[in-house]
Amino acid sequence: MTFVGAAFGVLAGALLAAVVGYAIVRLFAVGLGRPEMLAWSFATGLLVQAILFLVAVSLLPGRALVPVIALDAAIVVGSFVARRPRTLQPEPSPRVPEEGWGEGRRLVRVLLAIAGGAWLLFLVSALSEPMWSTDYLAVWGLKAKIIATTGHVPTRLFSDPALYWGHPEYPLLVSLSLAVLSLFSGWHDQALALFFPLCELATLAALYGFLARRVSVLSGAAAAALTAVCFPLYRSVNSGTAEIPFAFSLVLVSTAFLDALSDRSRAVLARLAVASLVCVSIKQEGTLFVLLVGAALLVRRRREGWAPLAAATMHALVLHLGRGPQTPRAFDFTFFEPIRWGELVSRLTKVLGHVLTADVIHSWLPLLAVVLLFAFTRHGLADPLLPLVLLQVLAYVVSFSMSAFDPIWAAGVLPRLTMSLFPNFTLVLCARLEQRRQESLRDERGRVESAVV
Amino acid sequence: MNGGDNQPDTPSPRSRGEGRGEGRSRRGLTAALLLILSVSMIATVSPAEIARRWEMFTRSVAGGTIAPGEGSGFWFDPAYAPFLEAVRARTPRDATIVVIAPPYPDVYTYEAAYQLAPRRVVPPDRESEATFVAAYRYQYRDVLNPDVIRIPNGALFRRR
Repeated sequence: MTFVGAAFGVLAGALLAAVVGYAIVRLFAVGLGRPEMLAWSFATGLLVQAILFLVAVSLLPGRALVPVIALDAAIVVGSFVARRPRTLQPEPSPRVPEEGWGEGRRLVRVLLAIAGGAWLLFLVSALSEPMWSTDYLAVWGLKAKIIATTGHVPTRLFSDPALYWGHPEYPLLVSLSLAVLSLFSGWHDQALALFFPLCELATLAALYGFLARRVSVLSGAAAAALTAVCFPLYRSVNSGTAEIPFAFSLVLVSTAFLDALSDRSRAVLARLAVASLVCVSIKQEGTLFVLLVGAALLVRRRREGWAPLAAATMHALVLHLGRGPQTPRAFDFTFFEPIRWGELVSRLTKVLGHVLTADVIHSWLPLLAVVLLFAFTRHGLADPLLPLVLLQVLAYVVSFSMSAFDPIWAAGVLPRLTMSLFPNFTLVLCARLEQRRQESLRDERGRVESAVV
Repeated sequence: MNGGDNQPDTPSPRSRGEGRGEGRSRRGLTAALLLILSVSMIATVSPAEIARRWEMFTRSVAGGTIAPGEGSGFWFDPAYAPFLEAVRARTPRDATIVVIAPPYPDVYTYEAAYQLAPRRVVPPDRESEATFVAAYRYQYRDVLNPDVIRIPNGALFRRR
């Protein structure tokens, strides 16, 4: 198949996933606008397609396309027959203050144009050649190609000593998503890269939609633009790895978390559970973030905190039953033994020293800009995310010191890992921008009223 | 602080007293800081790299192909790509293959496993499990054994 033909096949597969996802999301999408609906539909669709694919290949190895499409059709028909459950009554969606929209319209357009242009740049970059990064070849792409070309999930992916370096313990959603999309395009590792710009697009839609709904259109557009120009994340080498889908899932978990802080509806609970399941199914770090979110909600006496914990537990159980126990080869857990605590502290010091001298000094200017941005803006809607993001980074640093390899070598991946958190970080940052802007508008209105009196 | 509370703060007397100019300068400063953050990320993009990728992208759209050795995947050794392609073309999909190649960088192993999938690629110490041995950079000299096939940059041995 030609590149263009295969790319259209991938696009068709992604659209079908979004349609199936929409059929499910519409049951718990109360109050969401179109951009958020798009993002949630895509994420839910990826999860559903992966599950249907596993069911299909376990019954009919090598012939999954027709069963998957048939099951998709059944879900879509079932959703529209069932309609929306009575328990999920529509609620008024917080609207954007009109006062800000009028004066910022031109700026919003400029920001969205920047986001669109940056997205196109990544699209071209990702699709310019077959996916090639080391993690793609050794982990995500290898599993996907073996699953797609054999038509089932061979047990050797998890038990073959010759594949010990392929991280059999990693979650499978990225590999399964590529395998599902290849049903529509054949195995074309250049066209399949389209999956990653689509994940970016969904991330931008989720950020824009959430902030437009909860803060303002301007802060949503700013978050979309700031995230889209995050080229250390959205670059060719990352198409094929789990970083970009992971960043997407983190944004969904975070927006559901922020909604759950002020809304106890079942719709929010369902979104939190679905997002958590997607997140833990993409990367192991997802389990950590989801557990942090669950703990943060439980600390605030929000029973919604059980949803992320249940999703993480369910995912771990399903993987354990499906592929047997897997030992993470990247970590040396004997560092937990009291006799090695001294060694662990020494390694932690080395890692921290490396992070400070290499990463922090290298990025001093943008880091300083971020610090000043926090100083010049007041607290915003997404501030509760900040400790979770910082704890996640801290956990990365600690985990490097427990690495089975040289901790400094392991710490070399920190910039790549932290970049996955950047879209989440823009959520925090851009939610703070509008606070200041609203105050300024209020001040101006106050002055006008005083002048009239 | 209740993070779910989206109500704006009550303006303090001080903030009420802030002038229009001060509000604007704050917004200007915030915009400048965001610009610094954005530019620091945009600066990681190489215009030459974009041009190279645009050329490959348009060529692909026009129906051309990007040979494995031409792209970034075989940065460590472009000659390894045609070797693996020849192994792939001459072995069945259910074959188990020993690939003898340099151990470093480890991407030699990963490329072999990925490009030859779904064939099973095993290391040399598992040769007893293999049906083929693919030797990269093997010095082939008029071997008459029919189980040895000359391929680009190496040789392929059928094990019986």
